[in-house]
Amino acid sequence: MTKTPIFELDHTTRIENDREILKNVSLVFHPGEFVALLGPSGAGKTTILRLFNGLDSPSAGEIRYRGENILELPITELRRSVGMVFQTPAILAGTVRENLFIFQKWRKDFNATDEELVEHLLRVGLSADDLNREAKSLSGGEKQRLALARTLMNNPNVLLLDEPTSNLDPQLAQRILRRIKKVQEELGLTVIMVSHDHQLAAKFAQRFIILIDGEVVEDGDISVIENPQQPVVRSFLNGAED
Amino acid sequence: MQNHFYVITWPDVLVSLVFIAVTFGVMRYWKIGLEKTLLIGTARTFIQLTLMGFILSFIFKQEHWYFMVGLLVLMILIASYEGYHRQKLPIPYYYLILTGSLGVTVVIVLGTILKFIMDVQPWFYPFAMIPIAGMIIGNGLNSMTLTANRFIAEMKHRENEIETLLSLGAPVRIAVHNCLVEAIRAALIPNINGLMTVGLVQLPGMMTGQILAGIDPLIAVRYQIMIMYMWITTATLANVISLAFIYRQFFTPASQLRLKLLRQAE
Ligand SMILES: Nc1ncnc2c1ncn2[C@@H]1O[C@H](COP(=O)(O)OP(=O)(O)OP(=O)(O)O)[C@@H](O)[C@H]1O
Ligand SMILES: [Mg+2]
Repeated sequence: MTKTPIFELDHTTRIENDREILKNVSLVFHPGEFVALLGPSGAGKTTILRLFNGLDSPSAGEIRYRGENILELPITELRRSVGMVFQTPAILAGTVRENLFIFQKWRKDFNATDEELVEHLLRVGLSADDLNREAKSLSGGEKQRLALARTLMNNPNVLLLDEPTSNLDPQLAQRILRRIKKVQEELGLTVIMVSHDHQLAAKFAQRFIILIDGEVVEDGDISVIENPQQPVVRSFLNGAED
Repeated sequence: MQNHFYVITWPDVLVSLVFIAVTFGVMRYWKIGLEKTLLIGTARTFIQLTLMGFILSFIFKQEHWYFMVGLLVLMILIASYEGYHRQKLPIPYYYLILTGSLGVTVVIVLGTILKFIMDVQPWFYPFAMIPIAGMIIGNGLNSMTLTANRFIAEMKHRENEIETLLSLGAPVRIAVHNCLVEAIRAALIPNINGLMTVGLVQLPGMMTGQILAGIDPLIAVRYQIMIMYMWITTATLANVISLAFIYRQFFTPASQLRLKLLRQAE
């Protein structure tokens, strides 16, 4: 590929309490990719997403977004362009509509018609009736989907998803991921999705990165999980199946 | 009836020790075990207030504005130090923030009172300036430490909300807005309740003092009304100024929440 990479980790290290939670990682992500980030708990998956969204900075090495060091980009622009949905997203007080309209608090030009809001809700499997519901009364899975819709309101170029389906039943998880995939293809988004469910990830991602203990141990196509070469990867994937 | 004011002599003060004696007797009888503390407290009250009396009568004899200003600065520095050590909060520059906010608040509130309300001549007339400054400093500081504490508790509670808002591109001020609002509300509610209930149940201490000193209750009331309004402004100003500096300490220049610092708070 000759296009400028959308994200590059260049020998990136993140140290937390004198411990390297990300060890000299170098990775290149291309525009339009759907990447699954897999690995055991504590491997550093969330850490990578936080770095991309600018919630943390690297302790060493560099991160580039579209070829530019992210430390030099205006942070709010970066975050708008690189949407993130947390593992346990915060739902704000008020209705679903107010959650989607939160951007009005800092973007004077922000506006959306009811049709657009409903379109966003439908896209993530919520319904038009939910618009005036008290957001805190939504179920865990509904909250996750609202958070996804809220992030998409920013029209990001990259979508960072931290276990987006952990609170959903398998059918719904597939439906939502199909929708995300559709949005991704329509808008040409780059999706980086952390998942514990590599079977599910296999259905949607084209590229699979396995992170263990702060290091990338595998990076490749579906064969990474279908035909693992390294013993550590095999034992992680088998363990995850139990 | 004629205004009259009764002087308590030192022997009279000794007679008031019967109050302590009664308490002491009850403690003995019920084996409450606070006798020693009571005696120390009794002695400290006597010594501290007597000393304060000497200091005040010395101060009130001074005739230079720079003496009064120096004294004000000293009062602010000491009070801030005390407030700073009362609660160990992990806020960088906390002492500086307390002194600065208190200083600005004192200048604004005290200045308004001395110049526009009481029209004191000369403006540093200690009988007006020192007691009012003392009230502003004491109240402002109390309110600020409570608010800072509450603000940090709110931030810890809303850590995820703050980071979610930041992740969506919100500026820091918006991400912490709810925490600021909660902290300021908590600080002002007791003051507002005070405005509601003052005079219904008990007379404020200052008013009681003035009446005992033979001052016409209608004059004492006017003072008290001014003091009540002064308190709420003091709390508002001191809290708004200090919070504006405090919240920034919890974020990096790249608008990232400093989680480690926040988690240092117990
Ligand atoms: N703020 C922090 N302070 C201290 N340690 C941290 C911090 N954030 C993460 N860590 C540690 O860094 C390691 C990687 O964390 P990370 O959240 O990236 O893991 P993860 O791969 O997302 O795990 P999970 O699947 O459980 O969400 C963990 O050992 C974690 O305890
Ligand atoms: Mg995680």
